[in-house]
Amino acid sequence: MKGRWAWKPSQWEMMLAILTVAAGAWSAQLSPYYLNLDQIADSTRQFIFPGLLALGLMVVVVLGEIDISLASTLAVGTVLFSKFSECHVQVWIALPIVIGICGLLGALNGLLVAGLRLPSLAVTLGTMGAYRGLAFIIGSERGYTDFDDSYLWVGSERVLGDILPISFILFAIASLAVGFVMHYTVFGRRCFAVGRNNDAAWFSGIKVRTIKIRAYTLAGALAAFAALVWVGQYGSARGDNADGAILFVVTAVVLGGVDINGGKGTVLGVVLALFLLGTIRNGMGLANIAGPIQTVVLGGLLTVGVLLPALSASTSHFLHLLLPRRSTPK
Amino acid sequence: MSESASSLTALRVAGVSKTYGVSRALADVSFDILRGRVHALLGENGAGKSTLVKIITGIVEADSGQIFVGSKAVHFRTPIEARIAGIAAVYQDPKLFAHLDVAENIFMGAYPTTLAGTVDRKTMYERAESALRQLGLALDPRSLIAGLSVAELQFVEIARALVADLQLLILDEPTSALTPAESGRLFKIIRTLRDKGKSVLLITHRLEEVEEIADDITVLRDGRHVATRPASEINRTALVQMMVGRPIETLFARRQSAGLGKEILRVEKLGLLGKFAEVSFSLRAGEIVGMAGLVGAGRSEIAQSLFGIRPPSTGRVYLNGRRVIPRDPNQMLRLGLAYLPEDRDSQGLILPESIVDNVTLPIVGRLARFGVLNRASERQIATSAIATYDVKATSVDQPVSSLSGGNRQKVAFAKWLATKPTALILDEPTHGIDIGSKAQVHRITIDLADSGLGVLLISSDLPELLAISDRILVIAEGRLVSEFSREEATQEKVMMAATQDVRGLAQ
Amino acid sequence: MSLLAEKNTPTVAVQRRGFSEFALRLRVSGVLAFLFLVGLIFSLLTPQFFTVQNATAIASNAAILSIVAAAQAIVLLTRNVDVSVGSMMGFTAYLTADYASRHPNVGAELVLLALVIGLGLGMINGLLVAYGRVSSLIATLATMSLYRGFTYMYAHGQEVTSNKLPKWMLHSVDLRVWGIPALVIVCIFVVVLVAIFLRHYPIGRRIYAVGSNPLATVFYGLRIQRVVLLAYGLSGLLCGFAGLLYAARVGTVTVILASGWEMSSLAAAVIGGVSVTGGSGTVIGAALGALVLATIDNGLVLLGIPEFWRMFIQGSSIVAAAAVDVFIGARIRKSLQGQRFGRRAA
Repeated sequence: MKGRWAWKPSQWEMMLAILTVAAGAWSAQLSPYYLNLDQIADSTRQFIFPGLLALGLMVVVVLGEIDISLASTLAVGTVLFSKFSECHVQVWIALPIVIGICGLLGALNGLLVAGLRLPSLAVTLGTMGAYRGLAFIIGSERGYTDFDDSYLWVGSERVLGDILPISFILFAIASLAVGFVMHYTVFGRRCFAVGRNNDAAWFSGIKVRTIKIRAYTLAGALAAFAALVWVGQYGSARGDNADGAILFVVTAVVLGGVDINGGKGTVLGVVLALFLLGTIRNGMGLANIAGPIQTVVLGGLLTVGVLLPALSASTSHFLHLLLPRRSTPK
Repeated sequence: MSESASSLTALRVAGVSKTYGVSRALADVSFDILRGRVHALLGENGAGKSTLVKIITGIVEADSGQIFVGSKAVHFRTPIEARIAGIAAVYQDPKLFAHLDVAENIFMGAYPTTLAGTVDRKTMYERAESALRQLGLALDPRSLIAGLSVAELQFVEIARALVADLQLLILDEPTSALTPAESGRLFKIIRTLRDKGKSVLLITHRLEEVEEIADDITVLRDGRHVATRPASEINRTALVQMMVGRPIETLFARRQSAGLGKEILRVEKLGLLGKFAEVSFSLRAGEIVGMAGLVGAGRSEIAQSLFGIRPPSTGRVYLNGRRVIPRDPNQMLRLGLAYLPEDRDSQGLILPESIVDNVTLPIVGRLARFGVLNRASERQIATSAIATYDVKATSVDQPVSSLSGGNRQKVAFAKWLATKPTALILDEPTHGIDIGSKAQVHRITIDLADSGLGVLLISSDLPELLAISDRILVIAEGRLVSEFSREEATQEKVMMAATQDVRGLAQ
Repeated sequence: MSLLAEKNTPTVAVQRRGFSEFALRLRVSGVLAFLFLVGLIFSLLTPQFFTVQNATAIASNAAILSIVAAAQAIVLLTRNVDVSVGSMMGFTAYLTADYASRHPNVGAELVLLALVIGLGLGMINGLLVAYGRVSSLIATLATMSLYRGFTYMYAHGQEVTSNKLPKWMLHSVDLRVWGIPALVIVCIFVVVLVAIFLRHYPIGRRIYAVGSNPLATVFYGLRIQRVVLLAYGLSGLLCGFAGLLYAARVGTVTVILASGWEMSSLAAAVIGGVSVTGGSGTVIGAALGALVLATIDNGLVLLGIPEFWRMFIQGSSIVAAAAVDVFIGARIRKSLQGQRFGRRAA
């Protein structure tokens, strides 16, 4: 955050970009099908809906909290859409309502965490289950596949010569919007301050409680958009939608360079991490690597992503052990 | 050390020094604590008492010097090592496990065990009970820690020290939360320990207690050892003189107070349960009111309460003539009150962030256009701030952590002043910064007052208070006990008032 | 005035002492009361509930969960969480079942295998959290997927069907002793063993201490890292055993076995009074919490209510229990700080 409007991509972000290109090269080498514009464009769909969730999660994590209920909120969104579709409500009317409800679910998280001062881990673990159950309760056991075409448009259609998915455009807009908010507005600045140092931020007049509730609400609202994309992409809605997707979302945020303790991170980093993960996933798919193994790779990437700060800390710790002992400050 | 001398000495401190950055916490301190004696350690805030205790118990390491237990040189790296050597400290904030019972807290880490390796509860409760009985406590060792009174918590900690092979018990301001009866009981315990040949190092500011129970007294001042004498040889006046006696530095500007303006802040019978009560004072534009008192007296609590961090439970606050009910810092900042926290690095500034981000944090909203950050204005304000306050930095994008303490403090000043307050509370503004920056901070403070702000200056630095305050309020144990005008105030008078025993005070 | 202060002291201290102790001790009795209440409600709603047969079914269902809940409880006590319990169970279940299917003459050493695998998985978690300084949620989220993934990789998509497992394994679960399923007895035995360990062995007490006040541990010479490593190791050990039991019970071991058990174990533990902020709670309570969950499940089935209400109930109970816990915790912390000038400055 230097200078006027100019920024320089950080080392981490550049590394992500390089890795993505490398992953792409590996994929191309693996399979002749890879280097096809149509294929690549289509493959971005792999990470659009998790990406929208990741954008919301990023804001919450920057504040120093966590939210693992987002995949469940998405499921509530999809089944809500199915209900609206059943009643033949136009998607443009359904969308704001679903955004409102999902935002409310997010706000509930925020109220519990910031208002009642409950640990966000416990709260979102609980709401992860509760919202998932809610999705099942609202939806039916079988799932709904009879969507009106208007609901499918965002998630399935493509433009520009039938190449660019509309959902990608949606994601791009969302990324730019969240990026702008986080890095160029008052709200974003305050988020980083709170995540960096909760006390100092409060002493400086920031309303910590309000900002946390807002962040959780935003994450919930973004989940509604993710639900719309899901509906179009998979054409179905059921209570178990996106079950387990939270792993991908958390990995994207961590790999994107967002500090899990708060106060540091960029939207660009998260977006690049999403591209990287999407490319790896796409490549693995083309190489016919089984889904479960892909999950292992994902878990491994998450582990490495979180260990990196600790690894670098312990290396410097080792160096300190070699040098004469320094006293601990008061 | 000769055999006879070492058999008399429980602990010897020899040439201990410790420096934190620019501030000298301890400088070449040496004295002996004799066996079977109660040794009081006196000194103002910042004299080095707690640092010395931390070094003795192994929490921090000295830069130089030696500690001897008996005749052996020791070097403790953890409190457990000190405890094994027979040295245990009891602090004001209890380090106990709330979810476990009294006996387990006493024996944690050293449980009596049966042959099967299980905890021998029967023995544990018996020994705990006997230790507590020795202290005169009829406390059930099975009761949970959560739910005990502060006094009982302290006694549990002392019991814990007793069950190990105690040689030296260090008590850090033990009576500050005790009633007279409980203090009496504590003294009985101390005397019992002494009669058994143990030593007690008592850190206190209550001079009457020192008179009552201490055998020897050591006074520290500004990190240096002033004197160690048997209690019988000195009186209270001499003690206070030793604690504060120093030439007033002419480095500080003397305040020529300009005319005083209208009343900015008025506080009536302000109280916060458990911290302070019945505090009333007022602050006028152009005035610098100093607030003196010992650590823990409640000054920061009063200030933070006014600022909305922990809203007061009783009393009234009037800001610029209007009644306000402090709720949170956001509200108070908007009303024109700013507070510079004592803990600069963790509450006043966000260290990893840049100067510009720190300085403009409270006012980003004001500068922004439709919620969008106005970087240009922010940089402008930051740049002029570092020029005005002479902050030694190469650019406003530098992280604040790379600045020295003095420069950080100036950045903190800039930050709060950017909110254009009418009243400013400074909490230990020159704590831990170099002498040059100190003088600059004083200059800034005086200029601010001259320009019409009302300043409440909380400080433990008596010369500083005397130099630049128009009036000095003295807080002791949550009460406002005295007020001195600049003409009548002296270091001794202020210190006497601050070390007063308020327990006998009428409502 | 000082006389007044003296008079006030006893009443204030007793009041405060009363509530906090009461609250902490309330936890276990609270679960029992809740269990009783739930049982009562269901008995009234359907006649099929209050039968010996049904009770046995509930106990059997609760049995394995109670072990996993105990595992989760141990980790929670240290102020950490373990969401990889289901994956650890699944991994162990598959590996042992697969091994058994290939070595039909295997005997009790199968149990040893399960314990070793579980311990190893748990230690990896412990290393990440205690020494790698990784946040426990993230670390166990990662291992959750890693272990599940390893299970898939090992299985190559195959499941181990019951006809491949040794007969003694399958029959042992159906055994009854005086009418009570052996499974239930074994699980009660294990939980009691763990409870004894936590209550009567110094290492067990250290687990409580670490969660109760991590900052104070340095003054007592307790090494937090080792304690946390131990807690996770124990969790893995128990989950390994639970996985083996589960394999024996269901007969057909699939790769997704025990998915979702992390939520159930957490719900059981917090319902049973284990605090999410560490330091308080018992494995007996967690086991009772498992019983509560099993009872609710059973009741829902008997009433014909769709199964997914269970997830909603589990999730909500975690939040509710966390809220209650934080409330109690705040009171405890306040009483620990005591009131400095409370009695004088009133």
